[in-house]
Amino acid sequence: MSLPPDYSNEISALNREILKAQPSDVLQFCANFFLRRLESQRAEFLLSQQHSSQKGGGMAESTFPGNNPFGTSPSSGIITSGMHRLEEEEENDTIASPTASSFPRTNMENSQANKSGEGSFGNFGGFQASTNRSQGLKSQPPSAMDSQSFPSNYNMNRRTSVSAESLNPTSSLHDNWTPPYHQKTSEQQARLRAAVSGNFLFSHLDDEQSAQVLGALQEKPIPTKGIKVIQQGDVGDYFYVVENGAFDIFVNKSGKLEAGPDGLGTKVGSVGPGGSFGELALMYNAPRAATVTSTEPSTLWALDRVTFRRILMDSAFQRRRMYEGFLEEVPLLSSLTPYERSKIADALETRKFPAGTTIIKEGDVGESFFILESGEAEVYKRGIDKAVNRYKKGDYFGELALLNDAPRAASVISTTEVKVATLGKDGFQRLLGPVEGIMRRNDPSKLGMDDGVDPLAKGR
Amino acid sequence: MATAVVHKLLHHDRSNRESSSQPNQSSPPAQNDQDMAAMDRDRDEEKHMLAQWEVKRPLSPAQIAVDTNQKMVGHSSRVLRQEDFELIKTLGTGTFARVWLVRLTNPKDGDQNKVFALKILRKVDVIRLKQVEHVRNERNVLAAVAGHPFITTMVASFQDTDSLYMLLDYCPGGEVFSYLRRARRFNEPTSQFYAAEIVLILEFLHEKEGVAYRDLKPENILIDAEGHLKLVDFGFAKKVDNRETYTLCGTPEYLAPEVIRNTGHGCAVDWWAFGILVYEFLVGQPPFWDQNPMKIYEQIVEGRVRYPSAMSPDARDLISGLCTVDTSKRLGNIKGGAGAVKAHSWFRNIDWDALYHRKVQGPIVPHLRGPADTRNFDEYEPEPEGREEYGPEMRERWDDCFTDF
Repeated sequence: MSLPPDYSNEISALNREILKAQPSDVLQFCANFFLRRLESQRAEFLLSQQHSSQKGGGMAESTFPGNNPFGTSPSSGIITSGMHRLEEEEENDTIASPTASSFPRTNMENSQANKSGEGSFGNFGGFQASTNRSQGLKSQPPSAMDSQSFPSNYNMNRRTSVSAESLNPTSSLHDNWTPPYHQKTSEQQARLRAAVSGNFLFSHLDDEQSAQVLGALQEKPIPTKGIKVIQQGDVGDYFYVVENGAFDIFVNKSGKLEAGPDGLGTKVGSVGPGGSFGELALMYNAPRAATVTSTEPSTLWALDRVTFRRILMDSAFQRRRMYEGFLEEVPLLSSLTPYERSKIADALETRKFPAGTTIIKEGDVGESFFILESGEAEVYKRGIDKAVNRYKKGDYFGELALLNDAPRAASVISTTEVKVATLGKDGFQRLLGPVEGIMRRNDPSKLGMDDGVDPLAKGR
Repeated sequence: MATAVVHKLLHHDRSNRESSSQPNQSSPPAQNDQDMAAMDRDRDEEKHMLAQWEVKRPLSPAQIAVDTNQKMVGHSSRVLRQEDFELIKTLGTGTFARVWLVRLTNPKDGDQNKVFALKILRKVDVIRLKQVEHVRNERNVLAAVAGHPFITTMVASFQDTDSLYMLLDYCPGGEVFSYLRRARRFNEPTSQFYAAEIVLILEFLHEKEGVAYRDLKPENILIDAEGHLKLVDFGFAKKVDNRETYTLCGTPEYLAPEVIRNTGHGCAVDWWAFGILVYEFLVGQPPFWDQNPMKIYEQIVEGRVRYPSAMSPDARDLISGLCTVDTSKRLGNIKGGAGAVKAHSWFRNIDWDALYHRKVQGPIVPHLRGPADTRNFDEYEPEPEGREEYGPEMRERWDDCFTDF
């Protein structure tokens, strides 16, 4: 007669443990092993119990964090009171996620009520119709948005990964890519600027990026009413701003536009001049969350994802390479590895000053170091009535501040509008440690010296 | 049937054979019974070697670093084919891949019970969804890291005309995700244990391999038979070294602000996601959430995390260090790297060395009926019929991309 399979499995698991641990007290080891097995099996069992007998209880936060018997740590046993509480814990796993076929109706209505026309809607960027749980969608209680309470309506489903087209900056340099440019009147530009100003994807752009993005928006006439500009469930590649005309927004509960008279689903809002829609398409290709149709002849501005992301990427890429190039010229930092240089380049902050600004002042305590990115500046020293030096693009100053707290040796005043890249001593040390340690690397007298003994060495 | 086999063999034989185990490298494709038999012997030997692999793991960091062609796992096999594996059950599906529990066909004595997870990717879908680059990255990264105690081991990879295959070790405990959702949240010791194993993974990937993982979440972390973690799905992993990269990828709730803003990103995105993960372990849901994905992204770039009042100060301090929008201030990315994370007081009870050597007992040891038990995996729909074919034109255009597979 053969042994039961469960038994064999336990024994072979025990054998593995014994082989690994080589215990001196075999009996105690085996006893401990089986106790642990019992403990984890029991915890699993209790969990499945709890899962099958859900109760509303409002205890969700009160058991946080330490008394959940699930996943007992090596040191803790099963706690009876914990089990009791677990049974009362609230489970709320019916809400759809951003990856489920839902549509944020409340948000939509809110923004429609807000008639400022600031491009405020467009918040139905998209969804992934991979899971179909919209039936179980509960309306969100207003208290969930309240700053003190935690939303207990989180989606419990597996979340789908997302990705956009792979963008490669090096090849774009070879291609000599320049973003498309579509002529606009200054009024049109101003309207577009206002339309996207409330959108966080645009609010971080610098002037140059912003000009490129606005230039790339392409006019798209919609000749008649009834044209479906985007269709729910379709792939999304474009973001739209309304120049003139009007559009209605429909959502079909099935998650996609269907054939037949009711195929559009329910009207959930409308959008007019200055409004925008479809911005999730600027991030990645997600199915459209709604259908948008024209209600009269209209004009749209359209921007596609690859153009948008490439504008952002190219300017970020060029700026980083420029900063790395500047940093290579600073003797104080000559011993940085390329990796360290790229970290510092990443941490440099861009700032702009109008002409006539005193960027650093002689005698002040120096805290930051500057690289002149564009424009010009002059250097003055007390007692000398004309400039002792001139700085132009790529020149750097104030680098001794990284080394010590000595007062600034001169003043630097901008003669034109200037852009500088700057980094504080604290920022530098946070990333790489004290600059003294880095300088010491190419000091031959320190070669062979144990870093651990040297109080100035970079601690690692 | 027999002709089909011969055809497959010929196809493989032509494709750039470089395996040193094959003595007659320059000889023409197998033409007679003798060559055929030699080929079959190779395959049987390889299958047996793969089946016995588990005995020898985990590898030390130095052993992992060995060139992938020399290492006993993670190589590109020129002899294996789908017929060598019997598909038992689907373990998971993605948009262009399906993972199966498999066992060897015609196993040698002692290999009968050995099971693997076989990830099958159809070339057509990989191309259609523009994932060629990601799939290549995945195979190369998995080959490079094979043998790490907490990363799924790619035992071998191979391909045929239509599909790419990655043979992975089977992790019978299922996803941390399932345990977390059932428990609603983990207590602090459980969270610390899992978080600590993840720190070891990230330390290894970033500092030894220069790899950014880019899709950290409970769904991608499995529990093995002994209760330790295995990181799976390296579809977005990329060797970045000290250069930043720009392609947006990840999971909405876990995306780092610099990914959303497209200013270039690197390994620091994993530390951000790690902060989100620890938060989700302790609270039961990630800190940034909305039904509308754009609202999630708006919250992320804003970067204000709210903590439940019951969260311990140490946990709060760790998460706020990790979930810092400014990468030059983000824990894990600043001076000290992963070491600074390990030194955080929330991890003060962790013995890092014992943890790497799997000497610490995991909080959940899955209860299993044998090595092929699939009770910890969900049921999945069968594969849809009538997929697009990988025709001659596509082969002409794309097959070069897959030669190393």
